[in-house]
Amino acid sequence: MMSKIDLRENEAKVLSALKEASGSLDASEIVSKENLSHAAVMRAALSLESKNLIRIIERRIQRVSLTEEGRLYAEIGLPERRLAQALIEMGGEACIDEALNVASIKSSMSAIALGWLSRKGWGQIEKKTRRVKILKKPEEGADERLLRLLRKREALNIEDLEGEMKEAVNILRRRRLVEIDEKTKRRLELTSEGWRLVREGVKVVREVSQVTPELIITGKWKKVKLRRYNIKAPVAPIWPGKKHPYMRFLDDLKQKLVALGFKEMTGPIVEISFFNCDGLYMPQDHPAREVHDMYFVKEPKYGDLSRYKQYLENVQKTHENGWITGSKGWRYSFSSLEAARLMLRSQTTAASVRMLINKDLEIPGKYFAIARCFRPDVIDKTHLTEFNQVEGIILGEDLGLKDLLGVLKKFAIEVAGADKVKYRPDYFPFTEPSVELIAYKKGYGWMEFGGSGIFRPEVTLPLGIKVPVLAWGLGVDRLFMMKMGIDDIRYLFTHDLEWIRRAGVV
Amino acid sequence: MPTIELNREDLESLLGTSLPKDIEELNGILAYVKGEAKSIDQEEIRIELKDSNRADLWSAEGLARALRGFLGLEKGLREYIAAGSSGVEVYVDSQLRNVRPYIGCAVVKNVKLTDAAIRQIMRFQDKMDQTYGRNRRRTSIGLYEFDLVKPPLRFTLAEPDEVSFIPLEFDEELTLREILKKHPKGIEYGHIIRQFPKWPIFIDSADKVLSFPPIINSNDLGRITERTKNVLIEVTGTSYQTVMDTLTNVTVSLADRGGTIYSAEIHYPYPEMNDDVTPKLDIEIMVLEVSFIQRFIGLKLSISEIVSLLEKARYGVAESSNRRITVQIPCYRVDVLHPIDIVEDIAIAYDYNRIPDEWPQLATIGKLSDETMFRDYLREIMVGLGFQEVLTYIMSNPETLFTKMNLKPSKVVELANPKIASMTCLRNWLLPSLMELLSHNVHVAYPQRVFEVGYCVVHDETRENKTRDIEKLACVNIHSNANFTEVKAQLDALLSNLGIKYYLEETEHGSFIDGRVGKVIAEDNDLGIVGEIHPQVLQNWGLENPASAFEISVDTLRKIKLKC
Repeated sequence: MMSKIDLRENEAKVLSALKEASGSLDASEIVSKENLSHAAVMRAALSLESKNLIRIIERRIQRVSLTEEGRLYAEIGLPERRLAQALIEMGGEACIDEALNVASIKSSMSAIALGWLSRKGWGQIEKKTRRVKILKKPEEGADERLLRLLRKREALNIEDLEGEMKEAVNILRRRRLVEIDEKTKRRLELTSEGWRLVREGVKVVREVSQVTPELIITGKWKKVKLRRYNIKAPVAPIWPGKKHPYMRFLDDLKQKLVALGFKEMTGPIVEISFFNCDGLYMPQDHPAREVHDMYFVKEPKYGDLSRYKQYLENVQKTHENGWITGSKGWRYSFSSLEAARLMLRSQTTAASVRMLINKDLEIPGKYFAIARCFRPDVIDKTHLTEFNQVEGIILGEDLGLKDLLGVLKKFAIEVAGADKVKYRPDYFPFTEPSVELIAYKKGYGWMEFGGSGIFRPEVTLPLGIKVPVLAWGLGVDRLFMMKMGIDDIRYLFTHDLEWIRRAGVV
Repeated sequence: MPTIELNREDLESLLGTSLPKDIEELNGILAYVKGEAKSIDQEEIRIELKDSNRADLWSAEGLARALRGFLGLEKGLREYIAAGSSGVEVYVDSQLRNVRPYIGCAVVKNVKLTDAAIRQIMRFQDKMDQTYGRNRRRTSIGLYEFDLVKPPLRFTLAEPDEVSFIPLEFDEELTLREILKKHPKGIEYGHIIRQFPKWPIFIDSADKVLSFPPIINSNDLGRITERTKNVLIEVTGTSYQTVMDTLTNVTVSLADRGGTIYSAEIHYPYPEMNDDVTPKLDIEIMVLEVSFIQRFIGLKLSISEIVSLLEKARYGVAESSNRRITVQIPCYRVDVLHPIDIVEDIAIAYDYNRIPDEWPQLATIGKLSDETMFRDYLREIMVGLGFQEVLTYIMSNPETLFTKMNLKPSKVVELANPKIASMTCLRNWLLPSLMELLSHNVHVAYPQRVFEVGYCVVHDETRENKTRDIEKLACVNIHSNANFTEVKAQLDALLSNLGIKYYLEETEHGSFIDGRVGKVIAEDNDLGIVGEIHPQVLQNWGLENPASAFEISVDTLRKIKLKC
């Protein structure tokens, strides 16, 4: 049975140290003897104890050491000693103040010096005459011997001291000249089984925790035992580098849109109102312009529309009287200066307007953009002042409402994974008809998932587009929040690194 | 999106039927008018209306008018006709041309006004003033006790201190100037006329003040009560079209409460304006091609189906053939600008959910933009280097961009109408956004390594939008051993993966430690900056660990990469 006990290297070291020391040693002694860390010795000891080869006996050890004041008196002597010395030099009797002065005892210490002189029976104090005289030769007491001992040593075990000295520890402690601290001392002792094993000779299996290049190169790994680990023990956390969960979600969305045949388009953050509003048939100074609020640029106020003169002219006429679009127009006096006003893009549709006049526009064509938009809304659980919008357009001959509904349904299924859809009439100043998409997904319920419509002729014709243009936008933020299980849209731009680190893939 | 509040009992009496108590059921009906009930109780219903151009729906009367069609209670056109002249003539002062040039009036007689009805009318008036009337700047509405008014009336201007009258909600006479100082409405709307030397007033032949447009009515003449039978409506404003549209809508709403409409005559002194008769109640005609309707909706609807859908949507049909339908548009539908608006109403009346949907078979090739593909590649490498991607706002403030970064402020793109102090401009560099993020994570486990590819915006006079978006990549390492060597090794890894040779040029930058910062130069281009963050900057952000960072221009990087 014994031979079956596998011992690790450190365990063997502890056993052999104990054997040499006749079976008993303090853990700290083994630390210095075997040049191991305290933790390593204790690990080995606990393991040996579990194999019933040693016993660990714990003792509380009290150690006494000098305080700062104690160290001073150890050097120069206790005040009563110095006072007695001074009196002897002064002929055995003196006026109190003089004696204290000769003994160089500060007035703050005078009561202590006089008190102890009298308590130790070395001298007598005449209160009336304020004189003090020596009574007997002051013998060195245990307290002074203890101070002397401690002056040479850092600390002493109290249990090693004789009775008189132990008493002195208490006295000096009350005088705050020494302090006591407690330590647990562990003594290791071989059990009878342990003795049997060490007499038979300890067989050591060398166990290795970290596999090293040396072990591999030299082939030593064959001779050693790779220690079994407690694989269930917890480890310190590390955080991977990874994409932001919302950005990752948008990446996936882009891939889905590309798979459905959409090309990505872009536009600037600072937009000219013409692209964000006027080109979308949003009349100046009208509630339809303010379906949402907008941010404007302080300086400079206006952009340069000289490149778009023809389009600007068409749009102006359309707003004023409908131009050739078959519309009555908004019937007001259009300001081309107002159309040049610089603002922050408030809707991704601005990118669609730019695409419609881009020389690379293809018909039929499908385009999408994911763009940062800005609106001076109050930030709360459901509103951000800066957010991403996913929008796009589809151009083709003879496209109509049934196609728009088909596109919405496709999005609901492909993008949101919806089970069924509903359509509701919606309103945008630039689309007619306008449709809201409501998608149902098991576990999530019904949610508003998109707004869409067919660009009004007042939008397309001034930009030179003669085919119907389906325009759509997707409420992907809500979808992301549902998937992440968050109910506060502010988490999309959260500063909470802990959350971002923990947020998984959706 | 206008939100309106309606008294349930009043609405139901106008509707002639009761409404569902269940909000979902009610929303099923309101979908026809693009409305959604936000709250509902015994007395009140609060409805959000999506269409910000259909002013006719913002009143209980107008909403009931539309819903009666969809509920099958009434169909076709509701026609409004002036029964005759009210005898009211209004003379406009030529000096109003630059202040508030237009006015329209109507009289509605024998209206039955309950307390609830008056409240609804006031709410409608208020909603119109706010939205359509652009907070009374563009138009404002006044209602008067007609029987107390002595025509002819004058719309003229007065010295602020010369004219006084008792305004609504007051019991003492105030001059116009005092109204602007003391009356809540004067304080709220005074800015519309304050800059003019003389201010608009509407007075009768006995020189009694009807109102001080667009501020407040007189308490004597301009107060409607349950006893009021005959109402004079006045709309003044800066846009003729809006004044007329507003007047029409208020007039027909009162007419829906059993009143009879009478017209008024307006005499303009401006050479380009003829004398005018208001309100405008004309029916407009639009001709729709049947094939256009069918193609646009994608349904082979028959003529009779189309006609019945039009009538459900409260249009009239003057004539129909196999090819064309002549549609009559009621006077209050000021939102109908194009036949397409009517087509939408046909589709809504048919019900979108009954239209068979179809994914359009268009052969197009999908593609990510070059910018996205390049950006994704950079993000992939940064993630591989152990960085967590973060997402921050483009809007920022000078304190964040400069002061806290130990820099002197420079010119940035500022907002004319910022809403919160932390978002007053657009960021011109990305690193401050990352430092701000880190400052909120002092107690989160270190090391922290974050990056973002994000837009910054700078002025650029040469471009049409006077600014340039610069896409940047920035990263920060922050932990007890963060240093220059670490970040340089990361920059090195990134650029060598892109096959771009670069070197660092010594430079000075307030945000970085002197002697531990360099300009990143590649192919003679200034790519950005790399270095160890200045302890002052760390302290400014309340950070207690050293940090190293780089910020480079993605656009420049892509251009160099394309050349390689």
